Amino acid sequence: MITRPATFRLRFLKVWRQKTPPRTYATLTGEPSTQTWPHQSQFGNIHDDQVARLAAKPLHPLALADLIRHGRPPLSTEALFSSANFTLSLLPIRLAHRIQALRNLPFIVVSNPHIAQIYSNYVHSLSTLLPYQERRISNLEDEIQFTEVMADLVQTHSNTIPTLARGFLECRRYISPGDVTRFLDEHLRARIGTRLIAEQHIALHLSSKPHNGGVSTPQDHDQSSYTGVIDTALRPAEIIRHCEAFVGEICELKYGVRPTLVINGQSDARMTHVPTHLEYIITELLKNAFRATVESGKEREPIEVTIAAPPEVPEAASRATDSTHLPSIPGVTIRIRDRGGGISPEVLPHIWAYSFTTFADEDVTATGNNGGGGGGGNGNVDALNAISGAGGDSSSLAGLGYGLPLGRAYAEHFGGGVQVQSLWGWGTDVYLKLRGLGKSG
Amino acid sequence: MLPPVARRIQTTIRLKDCYLCRQEIRWASGGAPPWRPAAILDEWVQREARPISLRQLTFFGRTLTEYRLLSSANYVRTELPTRLAHRLRDMQTLPYVVVTNPHMSHVYELYYKAFETLRRVREIKTVDDNDRYCNIITETLQEHLTVIPKLTMGIIECQSLMKPEETNRFMNTLLRSRISRRVIAEQHLALTETFHSPWHFPDAKQPQDPSSDFVGDVFLKCNAKEVVEECSQRARTLAREAFGSACRMPEVNLQGHLNATFPYILSHLQYIVGELLRNSIEAVVERWRHLPGHPAPVDVLICEAPQHVIIRISDQGGGIPKDILPSLWSFGKGPRSHIHLENLVRVPKMAATMQELRAFPTSAGGIAADANDWRRPVDGSLSSLTYRPPDLRLGMGLPMSRVYAEYWAGSLELHSLEGYGVDAFLTISKLGNKNEQLSTRASMDAV
Repeated sequence: MITRPATFRLRFLKVWRQKTPPRTYATLTGEPSTQTWPHQSQFGNIHDDQVARLAAKPLHPLALADLIRHGRPPLSTEALFSSANFTLSLLPIRLAHRIQALRNLPFIVVSNPHIAQIYSNYVHSLSTLLPYQERRISNLEDEIQFTEVMADLVQTHSNTIPTLARGFLECRRYISPGDVTRFLDEHLRARIGTRLIAEQHIALHLSSKPHNGGVSTPQDHDQSSYTGVIDTALRPAEIIRHCEAFVGEICELKYGVRPTLVINGQSDARMTHVPTHLEYIITELLKNAFRATVESGKEREPIEVTIAAPPEVPEAASRATDSTHLPSIPGVTIRIRDRGGGISPEVLPHIWAYSFTTFADEDVTATGNNGGGGGGGNGNVDALNAISGAGGDSSSLAGLGYGLPLGRAYAEHFGGGVQVQSLWGWGTDVYLKLRGLGKSG
Repeated sequence: MLPPVARRIQTTIRLKDCYLCRQEIRWASGGAPPWRPAAILDEWVQREARPISLRQLTFFGRTLTEYRLLSSANYVRTELPTRLAHRLRDMQTLPYVVVTNPHMSHVYELYYKAFETLRRVREIKTVDDNDRYCNIITETLQEHLTVIPKLTMGIIECQSLMKPEETNRFMNTLLRSRISRRVIAEQHLALTETFHSPWHFPDAKQPQDPSSDFVGDVFLKCNAKEVVEECSQRARTLAREAFGSACRMPEVNLQGHLNATFPYILSHLQYIVGELLRNSIEAVVERWRHLPGHPAPVDVLICEAPQHVIIRISDQGGGIPKDILPSLWSFGKGPRSHIHLENLVRVPKMAATMQELRAFPTSAGGIAADANDWRRPVDGSLSSLTYRPPDLRLGMGLPMSRVYAEYWAGSLELHSLEGYGVDAFLTISKLGNKNEQLSTRASMDAV
């Protein structure tokens, strides 16, 4: 039971490896791979007015309901086409908005090789989508090609966050921390939605009737609560235990001890959410709690995780009979309470900042190899870095990278949130609110 | 002088002991307040409130001489009408339809009457002058006990006539100003009391060293643990009376830094902590009516940091329903405001009863028991709220508590775990421990 999200991810990656040629954008576009000045060489692929035209269109606010509206897998061919066309109606606009934002950064910043690479990735991704703009996807051949483009997009942008972090770190003399924070907030939040849309179509594609005929029995589908990357009967308690095992192991490796974790409240609550998102957020929050608890010598005090779920409203209960909705509650609140001494008043105002925007020079060398990890289901790499960095010279920076702000961005994406209440000298209470089927923020 | 509308006189208030203002002030509680020439108020509105520093509030009493007592009296003498004038002008700028609401016009008239009385007081030159002045203050403060319930009723009845954010801004300013006036008045009454007390020798060397328990006449050294214990005892008693002795009462568990002390106005702290504990205990009692077993305890944590004391109150009373959450911090708004209105009507009658209840002083950390003639009526408006029965939901405990907490540079935050319970975080600034903070907070009561 506990391994469900993990196996899901494995299955996912395996497919990508099969289907996605490694980093093919240079050959695809017929341009030489110009890492230093890609923004110049890429310009030929997309006309400025195309970007401007797309960026002028409003962004469609994404809701969980949008992602499951094509029905439960396995999708029929028709439903699959409708998912593809829905995806196609959203992504070019979203990418164009990001390109526009990157273009508005100072020239010296976008010239930085790391930022330039990200810019190039976005231009490339948009250029691969534009050919589909003119037509609706209505045959399986187009759909397969389109899904490969999606896989390429997801793959191309998987390393965005550490690359951007490194780029802005190198450019910190040329752009103010406030501007960086504003850009990153918008960028990383937009990225969450963009990736989700693409990943959702890939997942629906893989489990659809035309593409998954002989691989799994119909029985599998009856039992699975997944619709694409969304779990309609997600148990937060399971994810918490899963993340606890992971963070605890690294903690034990690093410190030789691990604190215990108790779950109370409604530990059997189920909801509709994206398991990889929840996994990322919980990992980030548990990392902080574990490290604080061990470093303040309180490992005997258990970390208390309380799951609260509002009572089911009659309306939701009646909807449960609907074939597309499994019984699930509108949202949960998860409180993570530790005795790790709290957050000092000096640090507290900065917990939501991307810390690399304010690093001093000596910090930069200390974090030379420490920028990895980040978005999507990749959070675990970051957990490793943050905890293993805690003992070294950079201990004051440990855990203050982008884990907390990004975790909050994930929570807020579907109308939830993260709030931190520090009791300096005692411990910290963190409140994670998650909305089930709600509007995106 | 009075316009015809005021002829429909329903109430007449006579100021018996006011030696400066023996005229009768008549007002029609059912119609528009009478017109008055604006020139005098204009003149007072021109004046800026002169904020008193917390340092002054805290340490004034330590070197009390007749000269200082009289200068304090004259400070209060000009300050009260100035601050009242500003609030009167605020009310005058509200829509006509709002001020003609009976409750609002009641408050407006009370304020105007107090302003007219206080502005006529001549310079205080002798201790006898001061004693008479203290009588006026005491009486005014007592007459104003009905202000908060009346105001809240008015606001609820007028909720469709004003924008919610305007209503909240108005209420916040008015209540903050009310706190500030009461604090400086109370401070002066306490100074006068100290001056008259048999052990006060103006020429004697100050017997108190700075670390003594006695921080000032107004600020008292509060012990968080004692306040929580006393308030939870009271909340449990009131809940038992309301729900019957058969109801299962949650324990209140205390942990953390139990020795934490800080200077604060005791009645303010008792009010805030009392409101929070009442909410928690009542929610747990109500939830466990339908649940088996012993109710989950209310956990109180006291956390002392160098500059703050945080009191965290965690209950498992089921959390705050979603429909109430958006209006949690608003005055007179939200889905239950009609119930609050009905309950508020009962409060003015209760104020008197509660004053009698007050005649049996509880041992509030051994301090309230010593409450003297000056202090008791000053605290009256809060204690009538503090002692009200639990089924009397007024819907203003949280916004009021936040105004009080923020007034003293603290904060009040709530986190609802819907379906489980609520965590309340009351942060208190340890004002008295840091002189720099005292001076930076000097503009605090400038409202």
